[in-house]
Amino acid sequence: MNKKGAVPVAAAVLCGGVALASIAVSGLLVEVPARADTAGIFDSEPFSATDGRQIYEHICRGCHMADAGGAMGAGQYPALTKNPALGSRQYMALTILMGRRNMPAFGAKYAVGFGGPPVILNEAQIAAVINYVRTNFGNRYTDPITAAEVSALDRSAH
Amino acid sequence: MTEKSGTALSRRQLLTMIGAGAGATAMYQAMHSLGFAAESRFQDPIRLSTAPKGASVLVLGAGMAGLVAAFELRNAGYQVQVLEYNARAGGRNWTLRGGDRYTELGAQTQECRFDPDLYINPGPWRLPYHHRGMLSYCKRLGVALEPFVQVNHNAYLHSRKAFGGKPQRMRAVQADYDGHVAELLAKATRNHALDADVTAEDQEILLSSLRFSGALDGNYRLVKGSDSSERRGYDRDPGGGLRARPVFSAPIALSDLLRSGLWAALSFGARYDMQTTMFQPVGGMDRIGQAFARELKPLIRYNAQVIDIHQDQRGVNATFVDTGAGSSRQTVRADWCVCTIPLSILGQIPMNVGTPMARAIAAVPYCTGLKVGLQFKRRFWEEDEQIYGGITYTDLPIGQISYPSSRFFADGKGVLLGAYIWDMRNSMDFTSMTPAERVSKAVEYGSQIHPQYSKEFDNGIAVAWHRVPSAMGCFGLWSDAARAEHYDNLCAFDGRIVLAGEHASYMPAWQEGAVTSALDAIERLQERAHGAAA
Repeated sequence: MNKKGAVPVAAAVLCGGVALASIAVSGLLVEVPARADTAGIFDSEPFSATDGRQIYEHICRGCHMADAGGAMGAGQYPALTKNPALGSRQYMALTILMGRRNMPAFGAKYAVGFGGPPVILNEAQIAAVINYVRTNFGNRYTDPITAAEVSALDRSAH
Repeated sequence: MTEKSGTALSRRQLLTMIGAGAGATAMYQAMHSLGFAAESRFQDPIRLSTAPKGASVLVLGAGMAGLVAAFELRNAGYQVQVLEYNARAGGRNWTLRGGDRYTELGAQTQECRFDPDLYINPGPWRLPYHHRGMLSYCKRLGVALEPFVQVNHNAYLHSRKAFGGKPQRMRAVQADYDGHVAELLAKATRNHALDADVTAEDQEILLSSLRFSGALDGNYRLVKGSDSSERRGYDRDPGGGLRARPVFSAPIALSDLLRSGLWAALSFGARYDMQTTMFQPVGGMDRIGQAFARELKPLIRYNAQVIDIHQDQRGVNATFVDTGAGSSRQTVRADWCVCTIPLSILGQIPMNVGTPMARAIAAVPYCTGLKVGLQFKRRFWEEDEQIYGGITYTDLPIGQISYPSSRFFADGKGVLLGAYIWDMRNSMDFTSMTPAERVSKAVEYGSQIHPQYSKEFDNGIAVAWHRVPSAMGCFGLWSDAARAEHYDNLCAFDGRIVLAGEHASYMPAWQEGAVTSALDAIERLQERAHGAAA
């Protein structure tokens, strides 16, 4: 069956209240002023870590676990080790940008928050965490992804 | 056109599917835009007509949606079988008490060491007065309810960045916010700024009302004095005898109040779904799941992990493994299937449904909510600070501290909710910690509000919903765009399968969403069953 093209990508809409300071989103430069002095107490700061390991440990580890071994319950969280899907850095980037089932999206175009802003990772952060995962936990990939490549995938994804 | 959702796909298919699921507009979703304020559609108890002779239904999942569906269908005469992954009924309707053991994904086991009668509800914990479905089932099943204190004017609002990090009583922030706004509006009225909008006669009434709403003085000003202290409280309360005279308290300056950001936490109790009166089951939220389980006892198969759902022209097969007794597969069959498995898990189970439902199942991420329960050696929040139930809101990562709404003034230990984190960033961070680290962090942060923590802390337990094996997420986090595109497809019958649960409602996370979605689903099931039998 063909499901291609069924869903147009909606333009990035950022309603007032998002504490995103000028994040360049795949060609759509979204400028939202930082609002530290005017924000209510629930507008948390954007996630600012740039180091791949830190990003993994504060976000990904929740489901994929400290050893990247994933987990099995009524369903499963995939291991990020010995997983052939890691062979495609582009697949990883698209998964992080757009989310996958109960895994939230982290791309600015797709992320949904609750009672506050969503967690948004920019293209450099996404590249950093992908490269971290693909060179740790026993993974030995030698083809790193760049922020520009993530950005291009974000532009073309729909 | 059918497909197997959840079976192994090629990478190209995966990418296509991801691309197809890209309808979600990137946007900030305030709680109210998520449909949280939707009114329950519950009418008085459903009356299904008698089941067609021999008609059977398979209910997958014994959470609130599955339990309601099974209860009503059984009462109508259907042959009902329920498969439940956990060893208990209720799903996210769940309570942790002393002696309970809980193993999260990642294999870390926590033992709850609360004293007898103390508990936390890791999932839903309160019932609005208008969630008539939930309240009706509590009444029918004999589940005793008591008030849940949502609003407590003597609890705190707290920001690290305001007032030197000193918590403010909600009472004072509310009074001063109301007072300043009323004073400004009175000033604008008296300066004739509203002449174009309000008649002279109405302006007089408006001014009178502002004196009431803002506790202003005779000159329409918010000042330190009896009017404002009657709202915000006193520096020394009035009493009797020689020390009777009260000492008034000074309102917070407007600019300080605005810049504090504390106003953001003022309106929770004004929300339709958090207004007084709210309720909780006496003894823990799971009393509801347990009551259903008693009713349905022989029909529920526990420890049953569904691994395949397959429908044909005449019925539905569900294949499961018994997680307690090894991995031998068993298959059960019925004419119809009400599937209440959370989408976080259902999306991984092979099921032959059409593209619209399959895509809807894949379109909903799950909230990363998290709670931490803390036991203390005494109820210091009551003894030292006169806080009886209610919620303190904070910009610390713990989000809020909620004080128990029961057993007021009890001697001995007490349990409070030391963290309820829905903010995505902080909840992901906390989920990434070990359970012991979550408890330790909750104590560390909470002690900034209650210094008694360090001396009085006894033990704690933490539940991160993405680590809960039977749920793998807190609740379906619909974006408006995803809802517009997929919601109807998620709820529509696909052959002999219909979905129900909070994810199939406009009341995400609320148990009432599960109840009303189940009732809606079985009414439609009934029409089909009678149609098929005719």
